Amino acid sequence: MKKIILIFMFLVSIVMVGNTQPKSSYGLYTDRDVYVSGETLLAKIYLPEGTPSHIVCLDLVNQFGTRITGASLVISNSEAEGYLQLPDSLSSGTYLIRTYQKHNAGKLKTIREIWISNRFDGLEKTSQMKRLVNASSLLEKSTSQLEIINLKPDYKTNSKVEAGVKIDEALLKQLDGNLLVSVAQIDDSFSPSVFSVQDEKAREGIIERKGIIISGTVTDKKTAQPAADITVYLTIPDSLPGFQYYKTQKDGRFHFLLDKYYGSVQAVIQCFGNTPLQRLNIKLDELYAESGALPEFRTQALPEEFKNNITRNIAAVTFRKVFNQDVLTFLAPPQKVTEPYPYYGKASNVVDPQLFIDLPDFTEISRELLPGVKFRNYNNEPSLLVMNTSMHAYFEDKPLILIDGIPIRDLNVIKDMGSVDIDRIDICQNERFYGDLRFPGVVAIYTTKADYSRLPESTQLIRLKLETIQLPTKLAEPVVTEPTVPDLRQLLFWNPSTKPNQDLSVVCNTSTIQGKFKVLVRGRLKDGTLIFSEKQFEVK
Amino acid sequence: MRTRIVTILLFALLFGQVELVSAQESFTRNWDGQKIKGVRHIAYPTYTGFPFLTDGWVPGKIEFTDGGVADSLFLRYSSFKDELLYYNENVASQIVIDKVSIKGFSFAGTDGNIRTFRKQYYDGYMKGERFFEVLTDGNIDLLVYRKMSLSSTTAYKDESNILKNMAYISTYQYYFYSPEKGYSLVRLNRNAFLTKFSETDQKQVKKVLRKNRIRIADEESLILAWKIVEREGLAINF
Repeated sequence: MKKIILIFMFLVSIVMVGNTQPKSSYGLYTDRDVYVSGETLLAKIYLPEGTPSHIVCLDLVNQFGTRITGASLVISNSEAEGYLQLPDSLSSGTYLIRTYQKHNAGKLKTIREIWISNRFDGLEKTSQMKRLVNASSLLEKSTSQLEIINLKPDYKTNSKVEAGVKIDEALLKQLDGNLLVSVAQIDDSFSPSVFSVQDEKAREGIIERKGIIISGTVTDKKTAQPAADITVYLTIPDSLPGFQYYKTQKDGRFHFLLDKYYGSVQAVIQCFGNTPLQRLNIKLDELYAESGALPEFRTQALPEEFKNNITRNIAAVTFRKVFNQDVLTFLAPPQKVTEPYPYYGKASNVVDPQLFIDLPDFTEISRELLPGVKFRNYNNEPSLLVMNTSMHAYFEDKPLILIDGIPIRDLNVIKDMGSVDIDRIDICQNERFYGDLRFPGVVAIYTTKADYSRLPESTQLIRLKLETIQLPTKLAEPVVTEPTVPDLRQLLFWNPSTKPNQDLSVVCNTSTIQGKFKVLVRGRLKDGTLIFSEKQFEVK
Repeated sequence: MRTRIVTILLFALLFGQVELVSAQESFTRNWDGQKIKGVRHIAYPTYTGFPFLTDGWVPGKIEFTDGGVADSLFLRYSSFKDELLYYNENVASQIVIDKVSIKGFSFAGTDGNIRTFRKQYYDGYMKGERFFEVLTDGNIDLLVYRKMSLSSTTAYKDESNILKNMAYISTYQYYFYSPEKGYSLVRLNRNAFLTKFSETDQKQVKKVLRKNRIRIADEESLILAWKIVEREGLAINF
């Protein structure tokens, strides 16, 4: 019996440990290695098999470890794809692209070196470049079982490339997931390092199983100790505001799950004391991985060929910007059911003050326009009561007061609001519940400016712009509106989700850019090995 | 001694893993608990009869329109107002859940069978969203709208000796329902049941009922009759 228990426990432990440990590193690929500021970088990530997270982060950091931009990508079948918009203001130099999952960012990160040239400065004043030192590149296996066929050694500008990929039957059985097929311009004078940073001792965080998680801590301002039983609110202001709340435990921690948002959203996180005198401090955890130990760089001379290529690239990118030649087409996000009404309930009355005579302040508005709402400002101590229609009496407690969907407690914020400041007011004249929260009536004010400028600055409130899940995209088709406008694409083909097949076709058009291009096919085997096959051609 | 050390080590390993998993689950619980929106339930006036379907709170499951599911909640269906209530222990309140947010709900009946209710739009008299109990589920469903109406009766004195003249009276309505063809009201008797079939099929329905010795007089016999007739491949004439 004892033996059986021991064996059972051993097996359970093995399974659990196996589930939490990634088995290999990431495969991180970009469409090119050399960019110009203002361009779009496309990326494909192969993740370790059996990764429990739903989200993978991709970000751009400079040589000093400062994060410049980033994105959260959805993982599907241990793969992810996305893009980064490289800011126009970046100075010329070597940058690092990182990929990691937030819960184990300390344990495992994969980093790829890229070069970015400033679009406005060029490389006239630059004679040296900093490159990574001794970075052991991730192992990738070149395979002849992935054969690129029908590719001519050279093509004319603006001509059709019709190539194919032949995959060996034995390899087809070993392939895991989709292939990345790309055709892009190459620069032989810059070959990037790709390496993994691993630290088994680093602590693990919460796994983002369903979506992005934002965490933080609430502390008592007086004692600096974690505050328990505090309700923390997260609001995403919108016409139908998004709302979540979290009750803190002894450790003062809170966590919010963002699984229904795409792109960039404005968010407000706040908490209120349990007593009028309690003052709190709310602090968010780092939203992205820390820089960790920085890799070493060494200075080397800038090759003349590289310099010339950059000058040509800058001209091409500037031209594309001028003619609004987009790199990506944005696809619709996966269908999500939208709420039919706001979290505070269907309004019993909706009032648009602009339809009535201009009123100078909220006292006048409540008196003249708001049925069942009593706002008074005697001796500069404003009060607000809402009628409970089912009991035919005013609620004794203060109602939920919202500005653009964001809860507020200080009535001084609204007392000066006149008709010109208010777009509409929703009133709920019953006792509403949202989970364990009780609202004795609701007055939701939507402002004309909707800029949240009326929110008071406080240590209990954080306003932030959140980068939520990135919208799915695909490479834009080249659109030539006029014959005199040249097509200056450096990336001719990009399909990060090519379904493996014995025969694949790669069809694209060359642009007016001349030089060396490469057809690249990348994939992953079931044992985690990353494989690739490539073939060069020249556009003349 | 060695076995003991190994056992302790394994226990420690297991404990560590379980702690990690339960930490994850506690967040999920916190997030899931926020889905329910509603208003406080105001007690109905007391008359003879009972406005609720069940005598007390029954553990059940709610499916929301946004795809979310809330399980193990104490539910009570109000036949009088056609609304679903739940008891929130944390705030000790009876809450009427916003009908618009519910797709359906279910709970175990006194016989242990799961009773399933579905919100559907009713396009007949008194149009609107209604909770129908699904008696049989198939190409054509047999549904019941368990309505309790407040009707005037002869004057009576209640337990507190107060004179009253109203009572909650059951006005259950049974329907055959097909998403394409809509609703067809059926009463709890043989003739009403037969009229739901074409004249040519009626003979066969009569034969099937006779053969299975079914006399339609109540809900149970209607369900049984329909199940057998449906099995025979006979279709309702909407």
